[in-house]
Amino acid sequence: MDSSVDFLKGTLDLMILKTLSWAPTHGYGIARWIEHCTNDVLQVEEGSLYPALHKLEEKGLIAAEWGISEHNRRAKFYRLTTLGKKQLTAAHDTWARFSDAVFKVLRTAPASR
Amino acid sequence: MSDEYAPQARRAATWRRYLRFWGPRAEADVDDELRFHIEMRVRDYMARGMAETQAREATARRIGDLATNRAECLTITTRRERRMTRAQLIDAFGQDVSFAVRTLGRQKGWTTVAILTLALGIGANTAVFSVVNSLLLHPLPYPHADRIAFVYQEPTQGNKTGMMVAITPRPAVVRAWRESAHSFEAIEPYRSASTMLAPPRGEAALVLTASILPSFLPFTGEHALIGRVFTESDLKDGGHVALVSESMWRSRYGGDRNVIGQTLALDGSLYTIIGVLPSTTRLPALFLGATDVWLPLDMHNEGVGLSTIGRLRPGVTYAAAESELDSVTTRLEQSEKNQVLFRSKLLPPRQMVGFAQSLILLSGAVALVLLIACANVAHLLLARAASRQRELAIRAALGAGTARLVRQLLTESFVLASAGCAGGLLVGSLGLKTVIALRPGTLTELDTARLDGTTLLVTVGLALLTGLLFGVVGAIQSARHSTHEALKAGTLTTSHSRRQSRLRGSLVVSEIALSASLLVGASLLVRSVVRLQTMDAGFDPRGLYGISVMLPEKGYATPAARHAFYAELASRARAIGGVETVMMAEGAPPSRSFLVGALQLEGEPAPPAGTTSFVDYNGVQPNYFRAMGIRLVEGTTFSDTTEKSSQVMVNEGLARKYFRGRSALGHRLRVVFNGKGEWMTIVGVVGNAFTSGLTMDANDPLLYVPFQGRWGPALIVRVKPGTNPIASVRKIIPTMDRHLPPPNVTNIGEAMRQSIATPRFTMLLLASFTILALVLAAVGLYGVLAYAVAQRTREIGIRIALGATRRRIGRAIVTQGAVLAISGILIGLAGAFWATKFIDKMLYGVPRSDPYSYAVGALLLFGTAMLACVVPMRRAVSVDPLIAMRAE
Repeated sequence: MDSSVDFLKGTLDLMILKTLSWAPTHGYGIARWIEHCTNDVLQVEEGSLYPALHKLEEKGLIAAEWGISEHNRRAKFYRLTTLGKKQLTAAHDTWARFSDAVFKVLRTAPASR
Repeated sequence: MSDEYAPQARRAATWRRYLRFWGPRAEADVDDELRFHIEMRVRDYMARGMAETQAREATARRIGDLATNRAECLTITTRRERRMTRAQLIDAFGQDVSFAVRTLGRQKGWTTVAILTLALGIGANTAVFSVVNSLLLHPLPYPHADRIAFVYQEPTQGNKTGMMVAITPRPAVVRAWRESAHSFEAIEPYRSASTMLAPPRGEAALVLTASILPSFLPFTGEHALIGRVFTESDLKDGGHVALVSESMWRSRYGGDRNVIGQTLALDGSLYTIIGVLPSTTRLPALFLGATDVWLPLDMHNEGVGLSTIGRLRPGVTYAAAESELDSVTTRLEQSEKNQVLFRSKLLPPRQMVGFAQSLILLSGAVALVLLIACANVAHLLLARAASRQRELAIRAALGAGTARLVRQLLTESFVLASAGCAGGLLVGSLGLKTVIALRPGTLTELDTARLDGTTLLVTVGLALLTGLLFGVVGAIQSARHSTHEALKAGTLTTSHSRRQSRLRGSLVVSEIALSASLLVGASLLVRSVVRLQTMDAGFDPRGLYGISVMLPEKGYATPAARHAFYAELASRARAIGGVETVMMAEGAPPSRSFLVGALQLEGEPAPPAGTTSFVDYNGVQPNYFRAMGIRLVEGTTFSDTTEKSSQVMVNEGLARKYFRGRSALGHRLRVVFNGKGEWMTIVGVVGNAFTSGLTMDANDPLLYVPFQGRWGPALIVRVKPGTNPIASVRKIIPTMDRHLPPPNVTNIGEAMRQSIATPRFTMLLLASFTILALVLAAVGLYGVLAYAVAQRTREIGIRIALGATRRRIGRAIVTQGAVLAISGILIGLAGAFWATKFIDKMLYGVPRSDPYSYAVGALLLFGTAMLACVVPMRRAVSVDPLIAMRAE
């Protein structure tokens, strides 16, 4: 149970970092991007996005700045820091190997007993 | 979070960004961020054709648990911002400090003087007030020390002796008090003695013993280091158990834990050691050394009074406690059909500190030194601020705000104060060590003094305050001066600095005044001590030795037995080489004994009944006066020394006081106590002698009666110059009785010198503080003059160019210094005239208005002031007009 939660949280962090690696954006933008990329398959509980963002900011993986949104509203924009970029690369490799492995497992025919 | 809040929220958000400058607004930021998300989502749903209500519901579903997430965000953000603010502050402070250190480092001379001034001021104060703290404020290391008082008795009819009369209550009275006085949480009697410790362990030696009740150790808050403490059953079993001190355990028993159960032979009785007490355990007797052996107190030996100390219940006044004790005493005495002769008297422990008066004087003096040091630092800072006006103006012109500049100056003050504080701690601890090392043997209580943190904090606080205050004053004065003006080349203007120089001038005048007062006080004390050392003692103490032996009860219980022992000792001492005279006396100088009662001359009315006073007396043999070198004024020495003869000799002071020019010979007098007293006939008058110590008044009436050996006799021997009887006397004692402890042999000349050790010590300390004050004041004066010369270099250059002689320039500088010095000295002398009334009691044979001391003070200070003028004056006269005018 616990490990699955951690797994999901780690996923969320990774997705946030990945999103921000394209361009700085606000929390809503990140939510939209995740929604778009996963074709609404992976619906995050949007409220939990913010604690995750704030934690990443605290860790120094992302930095925030207040700016004006496309609809001329004051919004908090996040961007990836150098540390965040390094973390993303590292996590990206791990994640790729992991999902590759999962994929292989799923593809393998069950051994006959 | 409905839409009608949105415009307000936005406006608020705008100014909130400015608010952030003063502090993080975590909550508002988190709300803004979440609100933005909700609004965007609602907008998106509505763009897809949803009605607003549905859109909001869908948004809420999608967001999930908003409250929890909001709270989590808030926690994280607040934590982060707090950490950031702290980091920023520390960083900014670090920058300021390192900048200040660099700036101060550029002016090494100035900085050294400032730090030294602070270190000496703070150090001296820390040392002295640490002593004050441990001796006067916390004289006893017991819990709830503020409620502890010594309990004594004094005569019911009042005390006309002019000195403190402290009578120790008899055991029955103490027992009654302990049983029924409710004003006290505890009443603890104790007794101390020096007792002969016999082999087998180590050599025979005199040790300090203390007898206490089992409740005494809980009273002091001490516990046994090893073993156990006394219990009530120890008393029932006859009390032959003992506790030894940690230091004795270590020195005599090598710290062996098997000491428990071993036996001690004290004064011929055996005691079993049951425990070891830590060396912090002390009797309340401040002037005694550390106790070596603790014994159970026998409360049933009615022969001797008991020293008593008590802890009052919270809120009980001395008066209330005294009256309760008195009613208990009265009840007891009446039940035993006794007269009530004494009433109880409570004394706070600090009043028992012998050095108290000197300490108060010294703390006053050292506080003045701190004031002078602070004044010095103040005008050092002012002078520096003034001379940096251009630097500050340039920085202001380059965009540094006033707040920034003030912060910089404050940081410099802070750095200075910290360095001064570190130096002060060093000076303080060295100073305290020196004071303790130099202390006279009589002031054992000084050894308990430790460097005190509170004191250090207070002193440092004061120094810091001065630094900050004058740092700010300097900064503000500089700021007031317009940037433009300061930047103009060659600031010749002196108008702006007139206010400053007036402030600095008055600082220096007060420094000089304070030093002048201290100098007068110190010269008075020096004169007094010199007088004590050089005056005629009325007898010749050189080559005199006093010998006494602690005789145990066993075998020496009667006066006759003791008399016989001393007579035998005297005859053996006569045989020692170099010994010229041997005599027996009840007291060997410097000591003092009294008869209780009032003096009455025959033919004059008896003193009112119940009057209690003391009459100094000594019991001596007929050859005493010649041997001591005391002048016989008239009459003869005793011709009959038996008790029946009733002969008495008096000193000149008594004869002058009672007979006023008439001859005292043949008159009869008596000492009356409770209406009783034997008449005695005056057979001779002798010169006044300082036999009770050099700080006593030799003019006080003194009676000599024939030696009877009643009270603790002593042998006085006079030896030829260059011989020393101590070793021979030590050899004689064991041949007379091998159970006796080594004799107590005092070199009377040395002891007489010791009798003025406390005044001499006080004088020494005061003189050092005065020298410190003098140096600081001189540095202050030098600073002001040097600054004035530096400011006026150009003006001086012009004057010289216009034909002013260098002599005249020099004279102007010196005059400026002299005016400051003389005003300070005059104020100081006036202050001293007022302040010396506090040291009146400490002056011996020197009136406090002694013109010589005032003259010495004034001249010394003026001389120092003139010395301080020399360097600035030479700098002024050596000004090269060409360079001076070209400069700036």
